[in-house]
Amino acid sequence: MANISTVEKLISLIDDIELISKEILENTIAMKHQKLAGSEQVQLTELLVAKDNELKATLERAREQARVELKMDALRGEVERQDCHIRNLQRQLKEAEQILATAIYQARQKLASIAKANKRPVPSEDLIKFAHRISSSHAVCAPLTWQQGDPRRPYPTDIEMRQGLLGRLSNLPLVPQPGLADLSGLPPGAEPAVSTQNQFSWHPSGDLHMNVPGQGSVAMETRNHKTEAEDVEVMSTDSSSSSSSDSQ
Amino acid sequence: MQDSSEQHETAPTTWTVDDVDVEFLPLIYEIIRSLEKDPHDNAQKSRDSLDTTQKILELQRKLEKAREQIRKLPGIEYNTEEQLKQLDVLRNQLRLKRELLHKYRNMCSFEIPKA
Repeated sequence: MANISTVEKLISLIDDIELISKEILENTIAMKHQKLAGSEQVQLTELLVAKDNELKATLERAREQARVELKMDALRGEVERQDCHIRNLQRQLKEAEQILATAIYQARQKLASIAKANKRPVPSEDLIKFAHRISSSHAVCAPLTWQQGDPRRPYPTDIEMRQGLLGRLSNLPLVPQPGLADLSGLPPGAEPAVSTQNQFSWHPSGDLHMNVPGQGSVAMETRNHKTEAEDVEVMSTDSSSSSSSDSQ
Repeated sequence: MQDSSEQHETAPTTWTVDDVDVEFLPLIYEIIRSLEKDPHDNAQKSRDSLDTTQKILELQRKLEKAREQIRKLPGIEYNTEEQLKQLDVLRNQLRLKRELLHKYRNMCSFEIPKA
């Protein structure tokens, strides 16, 4: 009985009032000999009044409960708001964790490469020398002013290909290129193959010039013999290709 | 529930105890009085009898209406003790959530799981 809810109690009180009033009314219209004794009728009436009072008292309690319910509603709203905040914060924390995890992974990679570099240090002088060598000889791209016939080329040139591992694998004598064997021993800038090829150079006018020692450059008539000039170029590449085929 | 709320469009959205009509005793008293009346005139008798029947029906309607209205009252799904317990639970929940938020906000170090 103590555990029934207020709404159930109110409904049961109304049921009781209905029953008692029905009883009283039936008693009122009953025949005289069937009527209840006066005391019983008084008891019934008292019971009805008591139930009515109880109903009103319970309604008062319900009023109080409605007030409490308002408070609970406010609390529920507040709890919901806090829930929302907590969810937001959790989401942000998760994002932060992800970002940090990525950063840590990258940092670890960096640390590993630092450790690797520390294990096998390369002197900065060597690096600069190598960089100079690459850039001074147009190793990565042709010079901006490059024109047809210009012997300056990006790496790897034929000579370097021969010097490389693949060239050495074939393990064949590199006879056809003079001065190739002692190329590595030469100081930078003194490249014999290039200097011989430099005999011919293209000028922006389109004329072919030949560098003759002691006489400077001599312009050659190429307008009528364009094919010849091209032959020269073709021949120069041909010679290297034929030599490479020779070496095989 | 929905049907009844549609029927009473003017009804308040939240019912209060004041909206519930529980004044049954005067009506019961009136019915008893009219039952106890014993007029000699037959026409009067039948009129009174009709009147009494109307009043009894009215009492029934009133009881039924009171039941309906009581079912709409807010916050009485539990008895007082249980409701107070629920209130306590809610307060406790709010406190815990506030604490959790506070903890989250003041957290300055993250524990990173070792990969």
